[in-house]
Amino acid sequence: MIKVLKWFKKRGWNAQKFQKECWKAYSEGKNGILHAPTGSGKTYAIWGGIIDESLKMKKHKTGIQAIWITPLRALAVEIQKAIQIMTNDLNPDLKIALRTGDTSQKERGNQKRKPSFGLVTTPESLHLLLSTKDHQKTLKSLKIIVIDEWHELLGTKRGVQIELAIAYLNSFLPNLKVWGISATIGNKDLASKILLGSSKSFVTVNAEIQKKIEVESILPKNMERFPWRGHLGIHLLSHVLEIVKKNKTTLIFTNTRAQCEIWYHHLLDGNPELAGDIAMHHGSIDKKIRLWVEDALRKENLKVVVCTSSLDLGVDFSPVENCIQIGSPKGVGRFIQRAGRSGHQPKAKSKIYFLPTHAMELIESLALQRGIEKHKIEDRLPYLNSYDVLFQFLMTLAVGSGFDQKDLFPVIQKTFCFQTIKKEQWQWILNFLVKGSQSLEYYDEYKKVTILENGIYKVINKGIIMRHRLSIGTIVGDATLKVRYQKGGYLGSVEEWFISKLIPGDIFTFSGRNLELIRIRNMEVIVRKSKSKKTRIPSWMGGRMSFSAHLSNLLKNALYEETNKNSPEFRALSPIFDQQKKESIIPKSNEFLIERFETREGFHTIFYPFEGYAIHEVMASLLAYRISLLKPISFSMSFNDYGFELLSDQTFSKEDFLDNNLLTKNYLKDDIERSINISEMSRRRFRDIAVISGLVFQGFPGKPIKSKHLQSGSQLFYNVFKDYEPDNLLYQQAIEETFEHGMESGRMIKVFENIENQSIVWRNCSQPTPFSFPIITDRIRTKLSSESVEDRIRKMSLQLEKGKT
Amino acid sequence: MNSIEINNHNFILHPSGAIFWLEKKTLFLADVHLGKVAHFRKNGIAVPRKAEGLFYEKITKLLNDFTTTRIIFLGDLFHSELNNEWYLFESWVKKQNLEIILIEGNHDIIPKLEFNSINVKILENLIEDKFYFTHLPIHKKDYFVFCGHIHPGVKLKGSGLQQMKMPCFFKSKDQLILPAFGGFTGLHILSPTKGVKVYITTGKEVMEMS
Repeated sequence: MIKVLKWFKKRGWNAQKFQKECWKAYSEGKNGILHAPTGSGKTYAIWGGIIDESLKMKKHKTGIQAIWITPLRALAVEIQKAIQIMTNDLNPDLKIALRTGDTSQKERGNQKRKPSFGLVTTPESLHLLLSTKDHQKTLKSLKIIVIDEWHELLGTKRGVQIELAIAYLNSFLPNLKVWGISATIGNKDLASKILLGSSKSFVTVNAEIQKKIEVESILPKNMERFPWRGHLGIHLLSHVLEIVKKNKTTLIFTNTRAQCEIWYHHLLDGNPELAGDIAMHHGSIDKKIRLWVEDALRKENLKVVVCTSSLDLGVDFSPVENCIQIGSPKGVGRFIQRAGRSGHQPKAKSKIYFLPTHAMELIESLALQRGIEKHKIEDRLPYLNSYDVLFQFLMTLAVGSGFDQKDLFPVIQKTFCFQTIKKEQWQWILNFLVKGSQSLEYYDEYKKVTILENGIYKVINKGIIMRHRLSIGTIVGDATLKVRYQKGGYLGSVEEWFISKLIPGDIFTFSGRNLELIRIRNMEVIVRKSKSKKTRIPSWMGGRMSFSAHLSNLLKNALYEETNKNSPEFRALSPIFDQQKKESIIPKSNEFLIERFETREGFHTIFYPFEGYAIHEVMASLLAYRISLLKPISFSMSFNDYGFELLSDQTFSKEDFLDNNLLTKNYLKDDIERSINISEMSRRRFRDIAVISGLVFQGFPGKPIKSKHLQSGSQLFYNVFKDYEPDNLLYQQAIEETFEHGMESGRMIKVFENIENQSIVWRNCSQPTPFSFPIITDRIRTKLSSESVEDRIRKMSLQLEKGKT
Repeated sequence: MNSIEINNHNFILHPSGAIFWLEKKTLFLADVHLGKVAHFRKNGIAVPRKAEGLFYEKITKLLNDFTTTRIIFLGDLFHSELNNEWYLFESWVKKQNLEIILIEGNHDIIPKLEFNSINVKILENLIEDKFYFTHLPIHKKDYFVFCGHIHPGVKLKGSGLQQMKMPCFFKSKDQLILPAFGGFTGLHILSPTKGVKVYITTGKEVMEMS
C-alpha cells in the first residue's frame, strides 16, 4: 500500500481509518461492504485497493478487470474522472473507460476492440454488455465489481438487475470479488447480505463519520393564513430570499421538477438581482447545462441552485453553506443525505431548513428532527419475485450467447430476489418465453425464444433482438421529447403527455425560460423564447413518493408526545389545532379517528391511521370493498401519509360501518386480494411491469419506430390479462407488488391488531377539518364500485370540451 | 338497443358497436383489427390468444339477431400483414351466405387479391342513397357519412368524483363515427361539442348521453 499512501500524502491528505481497513481487506482478497456517506473519500477507499493489486501484477491480462457500477450517468462521469486521476499517477498504463447511455456507438466499438482495465458504468449498460454474444470472453479477466451507492439501487428493480448480474458473473467467474458502497440505512445487514450473499465471508467497514445536522423549520409570521394544503410553499418566499441573501451559497431541494421550475421563477421575480447567480438543476434539463451548473457550484460562481433529487448524490460541493428542503423529504435517510450537501469541510455542521408547504408538514418536520437525533434511518425494502426483471434478463442472455436453462436455474435461485422460486414457476417462465403461453395451440405463430438442438435458449429473429436491446433498463418513464430552439441548442427533455396538451403558439416554462411552442417534429419540440408572462409549467410524472414506514412511527410519536407541545412547530400550529378541535379531535395514541362530512362533491369519510401512504392505499381499497358488500356503492379514494378518504355519492352510516365489524383482521389477505382485483389499483404497477418485461415497446426519442403496428398501451394489456389470463405471473406480480412492496411483511396485520386495541372515534363534522384538507383535495385517486357499469353511467354526464358548454 | 332515423332511413345501434341498417338489411362495423393479437405474438409479444377469439362470437350473435344480407366493414378489418388469423376468417366467410364488402382502411395492407379470392369486395368508399361509407372521418356535402378509424370514446363525470371512459357512437349533424368492434383495441377520447350526440356502448346496453 506504500504507493497509495504516498499518493495521499503528496496531495496533503491523511488516509482515514476506514480507507486503510478497506485496502487491507481488499488485499486479503475479501469481499466487503463500505458504509460511508457521499463525499467522505469512499471512492479511493475502494479504488486504492484495486490499483494496489494492479501494481503487484507483473504482466497485465487483456480484458476488463474492474467494473464500477453507479446509479446515475452524471455520477459515472465523475467517478471515472476521479479514479483515472489516481490511476494516471500510480499505474499510468491503465485506462478507465466510461460506458453509459450517453456513450457513442463509435466509442463502444473502440471499447470492444481495445478493452480497458477499468469500466465505469450503470446497471443498464452492464446488462447491455451481457447481451453481447461473446461477453464471457470480454469479461474473462474480470476480478472485481464495485456497486456504488448500493442503498439507492436496493429497493428498486435496478437492485434486482444487480443481483442477477452478480449471480450470473459468479457462475463463470467463481473468484470474482464484490464490493458494495452504501450510505447508512436501517437494514444495513440485509443490504449486505443481498449484495454479497450469506454464505460467503465478507467484511463490513464503517466510515463512522457522524456529522452534526441542525434542522430549522421555516415558520410564517402569521399562522392564521397558513395554507391547509398546497405543495409549492411560495407563501414563504420572503423567508427563503432572506436566507439566500445571508449565505454565500444555498441549495434548494424540491420534490418535483415542476416545483423546481416554479421556485426558480419566484426567486428571480422576488429578487431580480439574483440574475446570473441563480441556476436550476433537474433530470429533464440537458446534460450540458447540468454539468455547467455542477461546475459553477464547485467554483463558487453561484449563489443559489434550485434542484431535485438530481443533486442528491455524488458531486462534492464544498462551498455549499445551506440547504433548504421544500416540502416533506418523505424519509429521514433522504433528509440526512440532503442536509449533508452543506458544510462539507471536516467537522463543519450541516444546516438544513425545512420549508413546510402546508400546516401538517410541520408535524413531519418534528418527526424528521427526532429521527435525526436518534439516528433512526429507514430501511430500504428489496423487491421479491420481480418476474418482469427476470424476463428481461433471460431475454438479455437469449439475444446474446443464449442460455442453458438447467445451468441457469440454480444461478437465479442464488439471488435474494428469487430465493423462493420453484421449478414450476421456472418452467412457466420458460414456456412463456418460448411458446407465449403454457400450452401449444393450433394456428399460433408465437415467436420469441427458440430452443436450439443443443438445448440452448436463443433468439433468432433480428427484429426481436433489436427491440430488446433498445428496451433494456428498468427505469420506466413516459416517452420524452427533446426540447430544442429553432436556431439550434438543446434545452432538455419533456414528457410527451404534457406537450400533447399544447398547441403551437402556447407558452410554457422550461429550464427556467419562457418558451413558445412552434411545432413538434421527429420527437423534438421546436421552441423560441417568449416574453409572455402567461405560461404553463410541465408537471412531470413520478413526483409522488411514499412515506417510509419508519417515518410514520416517528410521526405518530411527534403527534402524541407531550414534550413536543412546546416546540416552535407546535406553537405555530396552535391556531390550526384549535380549528381541528372545534369540529373534531386530535387523536391520542389509543384513538382511531374517523371523520365524516358532506360537501358538494359528496359524502367524505376520512380515516386517520397515520401509517404512511403505502399502507393507506391498501387499507382504503380494503374498507371500500367491505362496505361495497353491504350495498351497491361507488367510491373514489385518496390517501396520503396521515390517512385516507372514501368519497361516495351516497352515504353509509356510522352504524353500518361499526356494527358490521369492518375493521376486523379476519380474512384480511383474501379481502385485500379481492379489493385490489376490483379496484384495479394494480393497474399503475402493471404499467412498469409491462414495459420491463418487454410487453410494451416504448421506442426511443430520435429513434423512429418502424414497427408501428406493434404499439399498444399497457392499459390494454392489463385488460386482456385480467380478462383472459389472470394467472399470468406478470399480472399476479402487479397484484402482489401493490399490497406487499413498500411494507414489511406482516405489517398490515399489525396495523389491524393495533386498531383492535384502539377506541374508534367517529366524528360528524359540519365542514372539512384541517387534518382532512390535504387528503380531500388530492386529485390522484383510485376507484372501487359494486354498482353495475350501466347504473353508474346513468348518474353521470359527459365531460364537454373546456370553455364550450 | 337504440334506433335512430337519418334521411328517413332507420339504423339500429347495437351494444357491440355494430349498426344495422333496417331498410337494406345491412350490418356495418368498423375497426375489427383481426389478427392483431397474432401479429403481436408473431413478433414476440405474448398477448393472450383468447383475446382474439371474440370477433366470431360477437358476429355470430349479431347475425342471429338480425336478418342480414350484407356486411360492410368500415376499414381496418385486419390489423397488419397476413397471418394465420386469415385462415379462420376465410373459413368463416365461406360459411356465410352474404355479400361482404370491405371499405379500405389505413391498416388494410393485405393484398386485394386475397380478399377477392374469397369473394370479399374491396372498395375505397361506398355511396348509397344519401349515405357515404368510408374509413376516415370526413365530411361530404349533401351526404351523411358513416366512418370509423378514430375508436371514439368519451369521458364521463359524476358526483363523488366518479369518472369513466367509455367507447361510443359519436354522431354529429352529418357524420357518425362507429366505435372499434375489435377487442384488443384502444380508445381515443373525444370532447363532444354542441350538436353532437353520444351513444355509449357498454356491451350490454347502448345509452344515449345528453
